[in-house]
Amino acid sequence: MPYLPTSQAFLEQSAQLLEAYPDTTRITTKYHFPTETPGARAKRSKSQLKKAASTTSETTTTTQNTPAPVASLTLKTYNPTTGIVLQYQTNKIAEVSRLITGLGKLASGADVASLGVSGAAGGGDVEMVDAPAVAEVVPVAAPAANANANAGQGGKGKKKGGKGKR
Amino acid sequence: MAPHLSNEEFFSYLTDLLSKTSQKARGSVYLSQKPLIDGVTNAPPSILIRATDGNTNAPNPKSQSKDGKITKKASSKDKIKFSTVVKVDDLEAFYTRYADVCKAGMTGLKKRDRSKRKAKGKGGAAKAAKA
Repeated sequence: MPYLPTSQAFLEQSAQLLEAYPDTTRITTKYHFPTETPGARAKRSKSQLKKAASTTSETTTTTQNTPAPVASLTLKTYNPTTGIVLQYQTNKIAEVSRLITGLGKLASGADVASLGVSGAAGGGDVEMVDAPAVAEVVPVAAPAANANANAGQGGKGKKKGGKGKR
Repeated sequence: MAPHLSNEEFFSYLTDLLSKTSQKARGSVYLSQKPLIDGVTNAPPSILIRATDGNTNAPNPKSQSKDGKITKKASSKDKIKFSTVVKVDDLEAFYTRYADVCKAGMTGLKKRDRSKRKAKGKGGAAKAAKA
């Protein structure tokens, strides 16, 4: 179950998977809050408050006594017959609208080329081979890329991921 | 299974579900989409969109006693699920709306932090370039 480093990569791979298996592939979007034990919650709220206090800018600490945990959004493209899963996770609201629009394009049967990809579209046979291959290759690269994205340097990771794939 | 909602109804239900989840700051919302292919026509298929809160009405198998009787009821009896079918012609309009509804409802996600970018300059700028 690879997590793809960028939303663009996710959409591209999903498009290929959908193209190969249009009738059995489904896309699930999960919006979820982390489950926390009371202890973990207390710890997190403490550290968040501390952080808010240390940033002495004019930004008023919008976080109240019990700041809410940060939710996250996981997109999953799953094909049950082949067992291929593609995943992408984010916690930034800024990405939501782009992602959903992308899902809309996938739903209307957009191919890889129309997703605004630079010359990645190949023949059908190549793509069918490509998707499973990525499923095996990506886990190695994914943790590093994910860490990047979480640290707020997604831009860097994005470029890397894009280049590595082509 | 409950019948499919109209697209309008779906959005109002979804707005409700998302805002409730965000307010509680716990739980999940699952949204799934898949093409409805009947295998007869070759026309581009309609898209089935489902939404659920991920609860289940099925009894917990762990609470099943040895004689096969279920001693406990399901822990959460109020599973929320609803679905709609989007026709090919409506896809674009639907997804524009869908994106708006999701963006408005998913308030638990990290907001774009503009003030930080201004204050910090360099470090913030790198972040902003991504977002």
